[in-house]
Amino acid sequence: MSDTRVDSAKGFSVESLTANPRQARKERLIRDSLGATALVSVLISGLIIWSLFSEAWTFMVEVDWGSVWDIGWFPRRGIYDIKTLIVASLIVTGIAMIVAGPLGLGAAIYLSEYARPGVRRTLKPILEILAGIPSVVLGFFALEWIAPNVVKTLFGGPAAGSLLAAGIGVGVLVVPLVASISEDAMKAVPMSLREASSGLGARKITTTIRVVLPAAVSGLMAAFIVAVSRALGETMVVFMAGGAAQTAVYTHDPLEGSLPLTAGMTSLARGTDSVVGEGLTFQSLFFVGLLLFVVTFALNVVADRFVHRVREQY
Amino acid sequence: MEQAEPEASPRLGLDIDRTMQAAVPNSTGDTVFEVEDLNVYYGDFRAVQDATFTVYEHEITAMIGPSGCGKTTVLRCFNRMNDLIPTARVEGRLDFRKVPIYDPRVDPVEVRRRIGMVFQKPNPFPKSIYDNIAFGPRVCGMAKKKSDLDDIVEQSLNRAALWDEVKDRLKDSALGLSGGQQQRLCIARAIAVDPDVLLMDEPCSALDPIATARIEDLMQEIKNDYTIVIVTHNMQQAARISNRTAFFTAQLDSITDQRCGLLVEYDRTETIFSNPSDERTENYVTGRFG
Repeated sequence: MSDTRVDSAKGFSVESLTANPRQARKERLIRDSLGATALVSVLISGLIIWSLFSEAWTFMVEVDWGSVWDIGWFPRRGIYDIKTLIVASLIVTGIAMIVAGPLGLGAAIYLSEYARPGVRRTLKPILEILAGIPSVVLGFFALEWIAPNVVKTLFGGPAAGSLLAAGIGVGVLVVPLVASISEDAMKAVPMSLREASSGLGARKITTTIRVVLPAAVSGLMAAFIVAVSRALGETMVVFMAGGAAQTAVYTHDPLEGSLPLTAGMTSLARGTDSVVGEGLTFQSLFFVGLLLFVVTFALNVVADRFVHRVREQY
Repeated sequence: MEQAEPEASPRLGLDIDRTMQAAVPNSTGDTVFEVEDLNVYYGDFRAVQDATFTVYEHEITAMIGPSGCGKTTVLRCFNRMNDLIPTARVEGRLDFRKVPIYDPRVDPVEVRRRIGMVFQKPNPFPKSIYDNIAFGPRVCGMAKKKSDLDDIVEQSLNRAALWDEVKDRLKDSALGLSGGQQQRLCIARAIAVDPDVLLMDEPCSALDPIATARIEDLMQEIKNDYTIVIVTHNMQQAARISNRTAFFTAQLDSITDQRCGLLVEYDRTETIFSNPSDERTENYVTGRFG
């Protein structure tokens, strides 16, 4: 059959359908170099994890584990009380989310459901500019304004740095993040669902709570996760306004000063002499880094599972 | 105007049962909507110009016409759905049971609870079948007890001829249903709040002929209890199911130089299809639209 076909079309063979070898080589080259760029990012991630792990491993092997559960964080004296850092981190993140959750979600609901187009066009870019404020500026703001005006006046805390001041500062920092991602998620909910709801006699707030928010839940969850990760990883604000430098005694009182994970790392890494302390000081830096990595990673996994379970597909 | 030609249009092969048309069941002849000089604007653009017609109780009123003729816009005025579009503006008189629904004291939410709507594309909520039907009754606070709600859900699905197909999977997602089932679900959802009127915006345009036939049967069954206004692109559909037909067309507005929706003719359906008084109507229903 194929014989007759080839015969009938003179000079027509597999060769006439074969790609130009130069073209094919070029195509392969493009594919391989693009693959290589993807590989590089994987490689870098791997290297980071490896360097983190190897030094942290040294720490874990050589440390006296009794010093990891002690009265506070005094790395240069060989006291590495991890719970001091973790509790401080959790308090700061918790406070930040208490501030940023309602503010961010409220702003998102207003922008997506209530604001007239003109208002939205003005407010959204302003919100996004807010996200670009350097965290060192917000650190100053937390120390110089939030601490004396909010923490001292409202909560009777110190006018200097405290976990509460740092938490509120970080909260302000992540509000635009929460608002922006949540608003995108809510805008992505089809108009037809809002119409269906209004058509059934639902008020705007009912439509928002019972239709738009459930349909946008995966995006809202994403906003929440990104915000928590950002708050956990935020360094400058907590270091400046956290009310402790270099060392901290364990506390779970937000009105006192303490060192969250990132602030602990900063004080360790700061200056040339800081990390040359006794024994494992240098390695403890990596151990804390590893902890931060594990916490953030676990959070992402849990949240991902959650999103898959509760999300309403549309 | 009310006198129709005795024979149906042979050109369309329509077989309109005139006795059925004449004796509309439960028809009280009461008016549901009175529209007078209705103008609808989107910003500066006038979408509908000076529409005047009346919708009667327990009838199916069809609105036909080419795309962009404003028929959907008019439909969305009936339950103030256009309020959701920030730039939309409605002028003229639109009375629902003698009440001007564009009066500033009128709450559009109250209007929509009495006037249900079914949309062009089936738009079930991404929730269970049960929760879709229960949404309206819950929002309106219609059911005090769980058993009341169960009853409403069953009745509504029954009336939408969907109960037998879904009764074993009420907790499943409504998005797992076929397109036709989804649209019947949307009809069930709309009648679950027991509205006075049902507005339907091309409810069959996304459906195959079999699903379309089921929806049409359904409309004939429920029109004893509701007044239905339907927008359709399908002239045969209008001819098959409606008692009255409004023909809209788009015409160039000489002042603004924009195309604007215009109500050309409104009459009993058999008159529109067999003996229209306007040439544009005749051209459209005979397929010679130009």
